[in-house]
Amino acid sequence: MNYDDDTLMAYADGELDPAMRAEIARAIAQDPRLGAAVARHQALRQDVFAAFAGTLEEPVPARLQPPAGARVHDLAAARSARTQEQAPARRQERGGWPLWTQWGGMAASLAVGVLAGALGSGWFGGGDALLAHGPAGEPLAGARLAEALDRQLAQDGEQGQVRVGLSFVSQEGGYCRTFETGGSSGLACREGHAWRVPVLADTPAQAGAYRQAAAQLPPAVLDAVDARIAGTTLDAAAEQAARARDWQPASGGRR
Amino acid sequence: MLASEIASLLPRMRRFARSLTFHREDADDLVQVAMERALGRSEQWTPGTRLDSWIFRIMKNAWIDEVRSRARRDELFVPEEAGEQVGDDFAQAHQQRLAIQKAVSLLSEEHRLVVGLVLVDGLAYKDAAEVLEIPIGTLTSRLARAREALQQILSDQTKARP
Repeated sequence: MNYDDDTLMAYADGELDPAMRAEIARAIAQDPRLGAAVARHQALRQDVFAAFAGTLEEPVPARLQPPAGARVHDLAAARSARTQEQAPARRQERGGWPLWTQWGGMAASLAVGVLAGALGSGWFGGGDALLAHGPAGEPLAGARLAEALDRQLAQDGEQGQVRVGLSFVSQEGGYCRTFETGGSSGLACREGHAWRVPVLADTPAQAGAYRQAAAQLPPAVLDAVDARIAGTTLDAAAEQAARARDWQPASGGRR
Repeated sequence: MLASEIASLLPRMRRFARSLTFHREDADDLVQVAMERALGRSEQWTPGTRLDSWIFRIMKNAWIDEVRSRARRDELFVPEEAGEQVGDDFAQAHQQRLAIQKAVSLLSEEHRLVVGLVLVDGLAYKDAAEVLEIPIGTLTSRLARAREALQQILSDQTKARP
């Protein structure tokens, strides 16, 4: 069976409906050329994404912040404002907006890139797969991972090949937990009775036997935690209390 | 407050702008003009719809109507970067990122827009099509052609290297 390049590209981008996605996955299993074409699309996407990702880390120039005092109606004025601003060398401080507005954006985009890499690499798939697709195609924890996230505490260590790390309350008021399983680490956030997985990455190789809760998490996962966390991580008692509520937000307010 | 929500999109706006024009000053000018337009017509945004799509659409229109014509179109060459001697691996990765940025800048305008929205920003096809005000089928085929063109430019770059 032949598929046109537009279809393989859409598969690589995670844009096909579930039936078509399954069909292409089966075709790839039988024809390595299709797999190679998909891999080329994914590699190009990752390269292009990486080429521009650094922009998110740059401090946003003050002239772009709203409402920056005088309104600028034409580019000549914009350029002149810029020239004045750049005069005292390059500013290192970030503008007047909180750090999370910048790091949040970066982490969100990183997660997209990391997940784009996950497509087709075996993280999604059949019944025992780590991830499953939600109704809108969003990545959710598969059955085995979801069960671990529901039940396990950090102090339990590794059980059923899953280790749950940090748990915390997000800025949106829901619970999120980091996990590690089979060489992958990620972040899962409770949405209703499912766990949405906004970021998943390969766990970095361990240096030595000693490990801390957060030390083995890949940077993409740590960034995703930083972008979401409100306050600090849960201690053992708070973790147990949250589990007892089935990880639903505490009653009597969002936080 | 809308202004602070738009402000939280600034890093993504700047990145999208950089995929449309290689020059960071032109890119920031585009962001500034789009920000002005967005704040000036904030009543046109429908709460409950995606703010990022709305802002990107304003950027697309601002780029097409205004900024592009004023941006310096004559400096197509990548300026030599100095002082990036942190290490060979670092320098090599940096060179690769610059080469890809340059390759994107050599794409046609239509192609840069789809690459910027889908590959750089990560919008879903449906959302990118909405920003560009084109059918999703058109978006898909345009994106496929843009990727082919980009692949071709990158392979020409590799051949041209000694």
